[in-house]
Amino acid sequence: MRGWAEGLGDLTASQLVLRGLVLLGPVVAVLATGPAGSWAPWWVLLPILALAVGFAALPESSVGIATYLAVLAWWTLALEDGLDPMVLVAVVALVVSHVAAVLASYGPGEMPVHGPLVRRWAVRGALVLLVVPPTWLLGRGLRDDTAQHGIWVTGVAVALAATLAAAVALAGSDREAQP
Amino acid sequence: MNQAPLDARWRPTAALARSMVTAALAVAGALLLSDPSLVVIGAPFVLLTGIGLLHRPERTPTVGSALDHQVLHEGQGTTSRLAVTDADDAEVLTRVVQEAPYVVARPRDGRVAALLGDEPVPDIEIGPRRWGRRLLGEERVALFTPWAGYRFGPVTAGGQLVRVLPGPAPYDSRAEVPQPLGLVGAHRSRRRGSGTELDGIRPFQPGDRLRRVNWRVSLRTGDLHVVTARAEEDTGVLLVVDALADHGASGGIDGEASSLDVAVRAASAVAEHHVRSGDRVALRVIGRGREHVGYGTGARHLRRVQHTLAAIRPGELDGRAEQGGGLLQLGVTGGTVVLVFSPMLAESVGTAAATLTRRGVAVLVVDTLPPDVRPAVPEDTDPALAALAWRMRSLERSLVLDRLATLGCPVVPWRGPGTIDRVLRSLARRAALPRVAGR
Repeated sequence: MRGWAEGLGDLTASQLVLRGLVLLGPVVAVLATGPAGSWAPWWVLLPILALAVGFAALPESSVGIATYLAVLAWWTLALEDGLDPMVLVAVVALVVSHVAAVLASYGPGEMPVHGPLVRRWAVRGALVLLVVPPTWLLGRGLRDDTAQHGIWVTGVAVALAATLAAAVALAGSDREAQP
Repeated sequence: MNQAPLDARWRPTAALARSMVTAALAVAGALLLSDPSLVVIGAPFVLLTGIGLLHRPERTPTVGSALDHQVLHEGQGTTSRLAVTDADDAEVLTRVVQEAPYVVARPRDGRVAALLGDEPVPDIEIGPRRWGRRLLGEERVALFTPWAGYRFGPVTAGGQLVRVLPGPAPYDSRAEVPQPLGLVGAHRSRRRGSGTELDGIRPFQPGDRLRRVNWRVSLRTGDLHVVTARAEEDTGVLLVVDALADHGASGGIDGEASSLDVAVRAASAVAEHHVRSGDRVALRVIGRGREHVGYGTGARHLRRVQHTLAAIRPGELDGRAEQGGGLLQLGVTGGTVVLVFSPMLAESVGTAAATLTRRGVAVLVVDTLPPDVRPAVPEDTDPALAALAWRMRSLERSLVLDRLATLGCPVVPWRGPGTIDRVLRSLARRAALPRVAGR
């Protein structure tokens, strides 16, 4: 416990903010099912909170993967209709948490976060999130056709193709931006 | 320039693994469970994964760093410059200088990041705060591709063992040394010679130089008179540094000073003063290393003395040093002035100083023990017992200092400029008197 406290004391203010975002992201994503009609019980929330704490402490470790998988599992189990608008909140929380973890892992906890890097990743996070509303709308539009199994496969394939195209476009613009 | 190890390579980051697994399982779950919410959650991670993979690096960078200076005085600083080649695939560079005792780094304690392309590779200023052998500039360097998909390193680069010389202490002395016996120098001799210091006026004798004739006195008296002057000579100064132990805490050049800090800085300052005065200076270290520098003069010799001082490591003498009846053999020759820099807690140092004083050698002890020093004892030691032992040791030390003073060996604490002027003057006056020395 003392070691954790000392480790926290070594973190710079900007790193503390990032670790806070890393911690809050998964917790907010789980709690987002509440307004949609299914509050997470304590035996779900506590393990995810513990995983999120581990993720915040070690943003470069694989604890983050376990944390996100736990969130995905809860979203699968919790709601009949997963396309409630609160899923958008969950996605934003997870992406913010992921970006914060990326920024935190550029150096040790004692290193202040580089300002221009934060700005660059804020733009990237916003760009990545642009893909969420169309996907959600597409899902809402196709919700009534879920009986046709093939339409989901087609939908996911289209989504993946669109994502790949967006990725190539973003990567290309990055390369052009570099001198 | 120190290069990074050759086996360093690019590796996928935890961020890429996280986004990849999240994206894959979200899409797979959506398909298997017909849950569209998983597609919505997984969509941004699919994008992050795709972009990260598209920036897969192709070339292996090389990283190396070097310091601008190889020799430093404590308190001075140098710049650690990083050279990176073949880093076109990288977007972010992170430099983290390894922490080392008595070494400070700027900016941000030597932890910096930069966006390559937009910003130059950042330099790091490094400054040692205490004399000694210090490893400077060792650092960990990491490179990241755009969107943090791959990381190169962190690799260790740089790191040079630099000998940090004692700081240039402000020291000056106007006192005469007691026994100048050399050939050339700046000290006024007891003998007459061709110096500039007036000795007297006497009648002209065959062989006197005409430029020495004092015409005013000659006209007044009717006989030729000449001005006589003192010779100017150098002296041998032996600096003895007690490095048997280091008492007190050292806070570097800006903080509190330990006994060895005071000894090393004072010895360096005195050596610099006497070398600039044209005197011959020697150094002898009483300690584990038994370092020794013979008599010499000039800037190169001063640098040698300072390098030896910077290499001092405290520690007890080994068995060989105890040969000769337990007496320290300092190799003092006639006419030498001996300056002992010591906390005077070792019996052998006090005995050596007393023996030399009895032999008629001009000895001056500079007390280097910090005023509020407390002994370092093991954790399980009873504090009351440790305090009692330290009081007894302090009393013994006081007795030694009193005995030395009785013998005619002055003991002064180091206070910087002018510390030893008064005692050197009294030693010089005493040396001018006829005396019988015991041998």
